[in-house]
Parts: sequence; C-alpha cells; structure tokens
Amino acid sequence: MGQFRYAYNQLVYYGEDVGTSIDRVARFGYDAIELAGEPDDLDAAKIKKRIADAGIAVSSICSIYTAERDLAHPDADVRAGALDYVKRVADFAAEIGAPTIIAAPTACMKLKPLADRDDERRWAIEGLRAAGEYAAERDVNLTLECWNRYETYWLNRLDQGLELWQEVGLDRGGVMGDTFHMNIEEDDIAAAIRRTGPTLNHVHLADSNRAAPGEGHIDFVPVLEALAEVGYGGYLSFELLPPSADPFGVMQAGGHQDFLDRYTEQAIVKIREAEAQLAGATS
Amino acid sequence: MRFGASTFIWHSPFGDESVGQLADRAAGLGFDVLEICIEDPALVTAAAVRDAAEDAGVGVSVCGAFGPDRDVSHEDPEVRRGAIGYLKTCIDLAADVGAPNVSGPMYSATGKARLLSPEERAQQWGWAVESLGEVAEHAASRGVGLAIEPLNRFETDMVNLVEQGVRLCRDIGADNVGLLIDTFHMNIEERHIGEAIRAADGYVRNFHACENDRGAPGSGHVPWDEVAQALRDIEYDGLVCIESFTPEIKEIARAVSTWRPVAESGDQLARDGLTFLRQKLL
Repeated sequence: MGQFRYAYNQLVYYGEDVGTSIDRVARFGYDAIELAGEPDDLDAAKIKKRIADAGIAVSSICSIYTAERDLAHPDADVRAGALDYVKRVADFAAEIGAPTIIAAPTACMKLKPLADRDDERRWAIEGLRAAGEYAAERDVNLTLECWNRYETYWLNRLDQGLELWQEVGLDRGGVMGDTFHMNIEEDDIAAAIRRTGPTLNHVHLADSNRAAPGEGHIDFVPVLEALAEVGYGGYLSFELLPPSADPFGVMQAGGHQDFLDRYTEQAIVKIREAEAQLAGATS
Repeated sequence: MRFGASTFIWHSPFGDESVGQLADRAAGLGFDVLEICIEDPALVTAAAVRDAAEDAGVGVSVCGAFGPDRDVSHEDPEVRRGAIGYLKTCIDLAADVGAPNVSGPMYSATGKARLLSPEERAQQWGWAVESLGEVAEHAASRGVGLAIEPLNRFETDMVNLVEQGVRLCRDIGADNVGLLIDTFHMNIEERHIGEAIRAADGYVRNFHACENDRGAPGSGHVPWDEVAQALRDIEYDGLVCIESFTPEIKEIARAVSTWRPVAESGDQLARDGLTFLRQKLL
C-alpha cells in the first residue's frame, strides 16, 4: 500500500443516506469518509457502527460556514452562535472518532467585511481559540481552510491562513489546503505546501475544475511529492463539486450523477497512479 | 502580435480624465495597445480617447462592462433593449477610436451565476443569440467585430468553456463575431488549456494573457509554454492583453473578487508581465 490515506467527502453525495455513502467509499478502497458538518442531521451511534462494519474511518468533518455561522460577525450573538456550532461539530467529531474539523474565520461566500477588518480579525481569533481549546479537550484538531477569491474576501492563500493561525496560537491543529482553491490562488501548489510545512494538517484534493483527477490539468505528482517531503501524515480527502457558483443547487436538481460511483472510483485510481509514479521516481 | 494593457491594472472607472495619463503609462512601459473598459459611457468621449492614444502612440482596444442592467439575455425585453443600446454605444466608440472589436462577456450580466432549468437556459441562450445578432449587424455596419468572453463559473452560468463560446458564435452566425479567451478563466474551467485554445481556432479576436491569480504573467502556474504552442498552432497574430484588477478598485471589486495585492504595483505587474510574454510568445 501507498504512504497516504485517502478519504472522499460526503458533500457531493447530496441527499443520499449516509450508510450508502459509507459503503460506496469503502467499496472503492478509501480509508475514510469526510462527513458534512451538520451534526443535527447525523446519527453518530449509527454511523459509528456502519463505518466499523465497512472497515473505514471518518477522516474529518467538513463544517458548513453559512452566513449565520460567522465567527467574525459584528453581532456578539451571531458570534456566540457560530462558536456554539463549531463546538457541536467538535462534539460530533469526538463521538465518532474523527481527528479533524474544518474551521474558517468567517462565513463562506461572504465577500465583504461587515465591520472593521481589525475587529473582525480579533473576533475570529477569539472564536477560533475558544473553539480550538474546546476541541482539544476532546482530542479533536481544528484545520483552518483557505478558499478562493469568489468564496471569501479573507483567507485566499495558505500563507494568509498560516499567519492567522499563528495569531490564534493553539498548540495543536493547523492549516489546510484545497487544490481547487490553490489552483486559482497560489503561485505554485507544491511550493505552497512546502511553505506551510508541518502546520499543514488537512488536505482537500480536486482537479482544477473541481472534478476527479484526470478531468482537469493539475499534475498531482509534484503535489504528492511536496506532501511526502513535508512528512504529511493526515488524510487526503477528495472534495469534488459540480461546476457552478451554486453547486448545492445543481445537486438538488440531480446534476451530480458523475460524482457518485464514477468519480469516487476515478479519484482514487488516478491518485494511486500518481502516487505510484512518485514511488517509482524515489526508489 | 501586439501587446496590450488593461486600464483596470491601474484605475477604475475609466474616463476622459484619466486617458492621457493611462495611455502615456502603457506606451512608456512598452505596450502597443491600451485596453479601455466602458464602465460608464458618460465618462468617455471618442475624441479624448483618440487624441490621447495618438499622442502616446498606442492603439485602443474596447471592452464592455456588464452590470445587472446590461443583460442581453434578461427575461425582460426592456432590459435586453437597454443592453443592446449600451453595446451599440460601445461599438460606435470603438469605430470612432479605431478599435477593431468590442470585447467582453456580453451574453449576460456578469455575476449572474444562478441555477436555471434546462428550459430557462435554452430561453436565455435564445435571447443572447437574438440580441447579439442585432448587435453584430450594427457592429458590421461600423466595421467592428465582437469578441465574446467565456468567464469562470463564479462569474457566469452561461459561457464557461471555449467550446460553449464557439457554439454561441456559431449560433449567432455572423462573420464579425468571435471570442476573447482569457487564461485566468481557462485555468479554472478547461480540462487542457492548450487544447481549449486550439478548439477556438478561427474564432479568436482578442486574447487575455493572465496569470492564475491575475498577478504578472509568468509569476504563477499557467502553463505558458503550452499556451505559446497553441497560439502558434492556430497562427494567432492579434492582440495579447494583460488584464488584472487593482484591489483598490471599489466599483468592480465584487465582480472580479481581487482582495489582495497580486503584485507590488500596477506598473510592476505590467512591466514584468510584458517582459515575460514577449519572451514566451514572440
């Protein structure tokens, strides 16, 4: 077997019974599933049994930062609600044995600050710190995600994430990279991974058009090479989504059929090919 | 091949008050063409643009800016009519300043990226074809072409791929209608950037050479050798323009979502980009 562990994000199985999703991911040879961060919709005990039966793990929880879940919101009640959300995701992760939950300083698709940038930064740091300490007590780590320019005005590049993370100052957890966003924002995806180094604690993989590797133009060999070089030990989780500014709308209309069996299989086949090339080059 | 610089690198909204300075700046940095974007037609007169460009010794390229009320595929015929009128204004200006084309994502309002049913989509497409057919006719009468620009998924739901752009051109079916293709958008949407450029063979009327993050061409990971080869393969000899957006721009900030500086300065971006593109493409 290769050196990396792979997961597939449940998001793109939109509306499907989680048991069916777990079985699919296991069937195609993944080590884990990444679950969407809606703890109220998920039955931890049931999922725990299902993953044990399927022989896989839960890699991580992909938190959903809707407009109300905004740790940098000027309204203290909204911030408190956002913090409560992250804590509930951490509780769920702990219950299910997932080591990592995705965190963001502000809401996804928020394209302008609602208050002074310094205030927003201060609130986000306070919220992330409190959430991170709460998660740590449950042996769960935060991973701070950077999104492309069309999804946030704030953290677009990993170096921006790293800087904010250092200010948060937790002694565990780190920053994550997503190759779809990085293809838009970074000068060099592999170099950005190297610069993030040991602070990189989670990775989302997708091709340049957010479909499975092989559908776009990212060369995953140098990406894996950089991950190997920094000693990355976390999961590589495929977060694939339909080509739209509103991928959830597309999925609601049934436009995600390729992302079920077809891309679940293609993603792991293609990435293992890339990994084999890596092993071939280094041996 | 001629090299152009978009005024968005430095300034917005473009108008007569800034054209002299911007034309001199582009010429001073070694560009052949100044690409101007008509955000507000009331701020721009042909005479001022023509005089400034002549004085500086640069050609002019004209782009349209397509806000919510400039939507040729809108369900309201009045909105479509208004958008057609705006495009005709841009065409007249292009003709008067000697610009060969009006370029831009003229099939819809930029930022309109909502989900449509297949029926609505077909209807929207039909309105775009009908409206742009009328616009193309006016353009032909003024000796101007249309260069239609595919945009990435976050900026439009209508034409994301070169392949879709070619289909739109074919459906409009006029000789003076082609494409503006932009490597920034292609990097997000196309399976293979070189193949996409070759698929546009015969249709390319304007080309935006932009880095993946809209920094200086050459500073990121756009596969420039592949781009250069594909442009040679289609024997492209037209305008190659650098387009980037200063984060200081407020009016269009949301549409292009440039939140952090992607170069030390506009001059630096333009200078480094031009040096790199000359070396790669010539």
